[in-house]
Amino acid sequence: MMILIRQPITIVWFILIFATGLSWQFGHGFGFGENYHFASVAILIVTFIKIRFVFLDFMELRAAPKGLRWLFEVWAVLACAILIGFYWSGV
Amino acid sequence: MSDPNEARTASAQHLPGEAGVWMFIVGDLVIFTLLFAVFLYYRADNVPLFTESQRTLNQTYGAVNTLLLLSSSWFVALAVQGARIGERLNALRLIALAFGCGVGFIGIKYFEYSEKFRAGYNIVTNDFFMYYFLTTGIHLVHVVIGMAVLAFLWHTTRGGEIDAGELSTLESGASFWHLVDILWIALFALLYMLR
Amino acid sequence: MWCGLYSNDNAVVDINGTIGELKMNIRAQMFCVWSGLGFALLFLVAIWPTADFMPPLAPSLSADAIAEIYRSNTLSIRFGALLMMAASGLMCPFVAVITIQMQRIEGSPPILSYAQLSAGTLNVVFFILPSLIWTIAAFRPERDPQLTLMLNDFAWIVFLMPFTTFIVQNFVFGITVLSDKRERPIFPRWLGYFNFWVAVLFIPGGLLTFFKLGPFAWNGLFVWWIPFSVFLAWYIVMFTMLRAAVSQQAIDEEGSAPA
Repeated sequence: MMILIRQPITIVWFILIFATGLSWQFGHGFGFGENYHFASVAILIVTFIKIRFVFLDFMELRAAPKGLRWLFEVWAVLACAILIGFYWSGV
Repeated sequence: MSDPNEARTASAQHLPGEAGVWMFIVGDLVIFTLLFAVFLYYRADNVPLFTESQRTLNQTYGAVNTLLLLSSSWFVALAVQGARIGERLNALRLIALAFGCGVGFIGIKYFEYSEKFRAGYNIVTNDFFMYYFLTTGIHLVHVVIGMAVLAFLWHTTRGGEIDAGELSTLESGASFWHLVDILWIALFALLYMLR
Repeated sequence: MWCGLYSNDNAVVDINGTIGELKMNIRAQMFCVWSGLGFALLFLVAIWPTADFMPPLAPSLSADAIAEIYRSNTLSIRFGALLMMAASGLMCPFVAVITIQMQRIEGSPPILSYAQLSAGTLNVVFFILPSLIWTIAAFRPERDPQLTLMLNDFAWIVFLMPFTTFIVQNFVFGITVLSDKRERPIFPRWLGYFNFWVAVLFIPGGLLTFFKLGPFAWNGLFVWWIPFSVFLAWYIVMFTMLRAAVSQQAIDEEGSAPA
């Protein structure tokens, strides 16, 4: 079991947990204080970074045909931008 | 002991699982992205209502659920790598662990929804709660389906040596489970954390 | 392969009768395949330029507003409903050819083929019935607006809420496609997943019961626009793939592609 665990994806898991904690902190005033709008944007960005890690490392898209990988990369960037845009339109 | 990454680097590009599953995943992702965009679009018109309703959500439940699904994805990814190098028993244990995380997720959802219903909130209470119950509800359905898939994967892995076809099935099922994880990562941020 | 055809140099040469039967079978199947496309096109013409139900009459409209629509568009609504009702019959042959191709995959007993036949047949009801109810509403447009409102609600809900038989039809078809163990499967595997995706996209229809406004009302994004587009897309995709499958069957069994 240890051989399985001592793989790069375990590091990815730690990163994901850390990123979740970071989002939590952003949502509770860390780093942005009163500017919770910017904190929310930061949360969205961190969210898509997490999603990207799941794509590339858990779903193994790093080693997948380039076309599929770039489809997801483009989606991640577009979706993040669109969601930030819609969020910001309410600010 | 062989390195699970070795086999992959040797064969350059490898599409995990079947092409068809990816088509389904892309489709599902597009629909959910639409759902997220629609949510934020309507939210922008009614921020006070949304933030006030959002305050009734239990962020701790949301966070624990996120940790559960992230971990379950990790377990599933490890299981697939393990299956590749013949670590069948460990793969089985990991799939079971992932399944357990799913059970935990559903349990927390049960408490969360019960709390809401008892407090008088439901799908038609207001726009925020419509999106909240709808998106988490549809996601919950995905979780349940995903757990059925995990059970199927466990069953597949149980029967002796894993051949190439079964490995492909494992990869396909794993990819669906990762989709479930990804959707929750987004939902947690949008529903629980954005202010 | 996506949907290409494979040539068969070893034609099945048999007594003329068998060849004749095969040709009849293939011709009948082809007719059924084209019926599906015919239905889709006629349905589109019926609901859009004719009845002018695109976008659907909003569930948030008042009884007076709805009554006014039926009064001023009486003839178009009557024609559109009539056309939609007439076109709906063409769904049946399409369901039949899907059944036949599924049977080729399943063998005996063709359980899922029958499940699909059952579900697909019921789907036709949810096209004919709304057409008739719109007809009833437009039959005496001078009625009490509340009555017209109710008939209008009746038609749209019967039309857009019953997702259950649609998803069963798509789902069992998808499963059958994926279970095809031949060397050269009748349908490519992505078609199975496509059907799963389509099935999932019909489910939000059930939510229209809760909402008169927004994306989950019967004129909303997730209850009308997406299912409607996906429904048409399904017809076009299935038409294309069925045509290829039947052509391939003709080649496999006779040695020549049909017209």
